[in-house]
Amino acid sequence: MSTAAAAHPPYSMPRVTLGRAGTATLLLLPIALVNAMGFIVPVLNLLRMSFYEALAGGGIRETFTLASWSGLFRDAFYVDLIVNSIVVSLSITFATLLVSYPIALYLHRSSGRWRTFLTVLVISPLLTSAVVRTYGWIALLADQGPIVGSIAALGFTPPRLMFNTTGVVIGLTEILMPYMILSLLAGFGRLDPRVEEAAMTLGARPSQTFWRVILPLTVPGIALGCLLCFVLAVSSFITPKLLGGGRVFLLATEIYDQAIVTLNWPLAATLSMLVLIIFGAALAVYARVLRVIE
Amino acid sequence: MMQHKNLSAAPSASTESNAHLRLDGLTKRYGESFAVASLDLAVPKGELVALLGPSGCGKTTTLRMVAGLITPSEGRIVVGGNDITAMPPYQRDMGLVFQSYALFPHMSVAKNVAFGLEMRKVPKTEIATRVKDALAMVRLETLAERKPRELSGGQQQRVALARALVIQPSILLLDEPLSNLDAKLRDEMRNEIRDIQQNLGITAVFVTHDQVEALSMCDKVVVMKAGKLEQIGTPVEVYEQPASPFVASFVGRTNRLEGMAKGDGTIQVGTIALKVPTRTRGPVDIMMRPHRIRLLEATRDPADDSTNQIHGTIKRVTFVGDLLQYHVDVEGSEIIVEAASDHGRGIRNVGMPVTLSWRVEDTMVFGRSA
Repeated sequence: MSTAAAAHPPYSMPRVTLGRAGTATLLLLPIALVNAMGFIVPVLNLLRMSFYEALAGGGIRETFTLASWSGLFRDAFYVDLIVNSIVVSLSITFATLLVSYPIALYLHRSSGRWRTFLTVLVISPLLTSAVVRTYGWIALLADQGPIVGSIAALGFTPPRLMFNTTGVVIGLTEILMPYMILSLLAGFGRLDPRVEEAAMTLGARPSQTFWRVILPLTVPGIALGCLLCFVLAVSSFITPKLLGGGRVFLLATEIYDQAIVTLNWPLAATLSMLVLIIFGAALAVYARVLRVIE
Repeated sequence: MMQHKNLSAAPSASTESNAHLRLDGLTKRYGESFAVASLDLAVPKGELVALLGPSGCGKTTTLRMVAGLITPSEGRIVVGGNDITAMPPYQRDMGLVFQSYALFPHMSVAKNVAFGLEMRKVPKTEIATRVKDALAMVRLETLAERKPRELSGGQQQRVALARALVIQPSILLLDEPLSNLDAKLRDEMRNEIRDIQQNLGITAVFVTHDQVEALSMCDKVVVMKAGKLEQIGTPVEVYEQPASPFVASFVGRTNRLEGMAKGDGTIQVGTIALKVPTRTRGPVDIMMRPHRIRLLEATRDPADDSTNQIHGTIKRVTFVGDLLQYHVDVEGSEIIVEAASDHGRGIRNVGMPVTLSWRVEDTMVFGRSA
């Protein structure tokens, strides 16, 4: 027994050694599987579905046809829907950026407990669901609500703030702000207070320092935040549905209507693929922005 | 009454006439503590002045107050007779070189240098020539289109210098500009900055914790400690006639002994009586520069009024290339002696009894307050 132990030094068992690539593959395997089953296969299914023929009453005939796709671009309603979706989502993204940027910049410059407190404050809306927050906005923006009431009390003709695009933009802007602020903060790494001071000593007024130094250095954060918020705005469904009151037609709400109400699944699939194409385009723009600033 | 007025006005008028930059009782308080406590300083036009001191002595705070990046709690900053204490940094016309260089990372070298000129609405063609000249001055013409991150530390440093100088500022401020460079580059840049400063005849304030930089580059050295001024003088004055034990030990190396001055030109240190060039009385610190002490054979020379001689034993010898450092034990205190090393010859050994000899005038004496 003892001689055997001496003949075989410890740890002499044959070991399976994985190279770096092998280890990486092994670690990526679970997520690759989940993604394949939960994302890629369904997307391919959707793609196939968009080329099937829709029958009246919700039936689907599994024969290849371009009817859904060609109908999309021939029907003025759908062209308007696509353009409107993109315009509204861009407006929401821009409004979110505008109101989030000062907050993110202030947060970036604060420190210690105050910063922790403010960060928690920024993230805390995410603890409530978008549905609840949307109903909150309905209460605020309603015709008998406090905002309309105050404007009327001042003697102005109150604008309609709900069941139109304005309401959707207001609601989604607030709902998307935490994502925008966090993205901006993540991209503010290159902002160095010394560099701002250098600009000032070289004669730049605060506004010039902002436009020439601070803003260019925060472009990575702006690009990231805008990409994220645009994608979330295009795909958001509950808020436009409730605050739009059925009068604001956007891609996400139309997909819901086609899939659940009209039961035209091939058209819903086609619209879904279109949303994916828009996301692809947004990603391409994002990548281009990052390349240009590098 | 009239006479009284003249008396009080006279000193400030005389400093006003030749001081380009003047600090009057400049103070920065943070709560109860003073970062800078009532600092007075007058810098004549064209001089390079070093603010020298350990970290936390208030030298950088002082510089940042001059640049306008920190608001003073009290006091005035006067440039060329104009009080600029309340002026925002972008109107002050000062060139500031940061320790971290603080170049604009999204702009090319040329754009970095052009920035200050663009802010001043200088015509485009003039900007082009001035940027070119400024880059030529720091020998970086060929790198004009590079981004800062593509440059070495020394090159970034020179861009920062060109950017600060191209606007022809009334005062150049340098905040530890050499501390991020390696030793060889630091020596080069030291000479380069000094040459440029003298060629332009620009008034400059240089913040450093490195006494070699302060002594070798500057016209005047301002030694600071805990927000207060310890001494102002030429490099030679500060080194040869330090005003306090702090200055003596911070500027150059020193040995320190404690003793009792008898008031007759001698000081008793343990059982040894040392001759000193002063007749103070009471407890004192005695300091000697290591390189002013000579190491002799243990045999005692005939007594000499102009030198001090004490006996000791070598405890340790350190070879530092151009120098030999002897740590000599004298009645339990350690005295360091530095001698030029001569091809490694003549090194004395540990345990050897020796005599330390230095001139009386090289003995620095500082009274100790109880």
